[in-house]
Amino acid sequence: MLIIPAIDIKNGRCVRLYQGEMDKDTIYYESPVEAAKHWVEQGAELLHVVDLNGAIEGHPVHKQEVAAICMGFGVPVELGGGLRSLEAIEESLDLGVKRVVLGTAAYGAPDFLRAVCQKFPQKIVVGIDARYGRVAVKGWKEDTSMDAVELAQRCEIDGASRIIYTDISRDGTSLGVNVEETLRLARAVRIPVIASGGVASLEDIRRLKVLEKDGVEGVIVGRALYSGAFTLKEAIAVGAAD
Amino acid sequence: MSEIAIIDYGMGNLRSVQKGLERVGCKAQVTREPQQIVSARGVVLPGVGAFSACMENLRRFGLVEAIREVVLQRKPFLGICLGFQLLFTESEEFGPQKGLDLFPGKVVGFHPQNGLKVPHMGWNRIVKKKESPFLQGITDGDYLYFVHSYYVTPADVSVVATTTTYGTSFVSSIATDHLFACQFHPEKSQKIGLRILENFARFAEKG
Repeated sequence: MLIIPAIDIKNGRCVRLYQGEMDKDTIYYESPVEAAKHWVEQGAELLHVVDLNGAIEGHPVHKQEVAAICMGFGVPVELGGGLRSLEAIEESLDLGVKRVVLGTAAYGAPDFLRAVCQKFPQKIVVGIDARYGRVAVKGWKEDTSMDAVELAQRCEIDGASRIIYTDISRDGTSLGVNVEETLRLARAVRIPVIASGGVASLEDIRRLKVLEKDGVEGVIVGRALYSGAFTLKEAIAVGAAD
Repeated sequence: MSEIAIIDYGMGNLRSVQKGLERVGCKAQVTREPQQIVSARGVVLPGVGAFSACMENLRRFGLVEAIREVVLQRKPFLGICLGFQLLFTESEEFGPQKGLDLFPGKVVGFHPQNGLKVPHMGWNRIVKKKESPFLQGITDGDYLYFVHSYYVTPADVSVVATTTTYGTSFVSSIATDHLFACQFHPEKSQKIGLRILENFARFAEKG
């Protein structure tokens, strides 16, 4: 199972938010590139980068930082945050981003999702952020009445290459992964699912590892890595164990 | 003879390069088949990302020899960004990494200083150092689009076609009688960039 360090960028710095609240942030690195370097040296095979200001503003804000991370290490980058137009997606891919994560854009406009999935096969990931099983959008500021599983199934039909499922009631809290909801979602779709939000201990990685056969291919880890609850090397070892 | 081959070695989005060439009326094929590359009318080597990862992919897909061959055969050749840097002997990125060594010289990094941001990203001007069919219609001061943290330092300055200043003056393109390679992205540089792609396409057509 892939262990994917998260690099969330706010105002040019690498931060962690608490439950997605922009003003509840902890700064971990002054430079997101330094954070990337650290995780690459620890063995990261994929980096999950989020442009938090981009998510709020609806268009990419930290292009320079993203470009620097893409160019810096030869490790693939997955990028989310504010990618709501074809131009923004294309520009990111041109910077060397391996695949892009769409949230609001996928939720609000299925035609758009279908179009970009066709144009950029295997490049489009849909990030479904949910609170208690219900989808949240617009940089987590609005809840909807849509069921996360239903949305995942719709995105699969529209051509998404994979789903990142984030339980935002857990994200940044280190309360433990919502394994049950992740499993419910992974079983409902055929495309791979990446779990995210709330990883607290190696026990979470172990519990998710069991779901590999159900289609959970990886897990994004944020605060637990930054706060040193465990090291990336340890997590990778657990993720790779038989 | 067939069309233009755009070398696909898994580094970045090739769609904009292909679209750019199509816009100047050129048929371009994205490929990683050495045979198709060697038999193309002209070859484009694009690339974004890390130097080492690019070289590794070129080796993995068995493309190093094909690229050497087309350059040594003096086939019309266009290198863009990392596809420009890869032509040189080595890069200091992660302490020396061997390149294709078709041109002697090193690839070195910008040193962030006085608020200079790295990567160098955005529009910047070029200064022409020599005339070349690849630069027809391009004049001093024209703006082109850049995204890079490293730049080339050719041992043989006679190949230098343009320079650009970002903190320091660096070589933004080189030209020989059959090859043009540039640090900027013609495919993202609107009218001026399209003119360069058009020059290349015309040159390749003549063979």
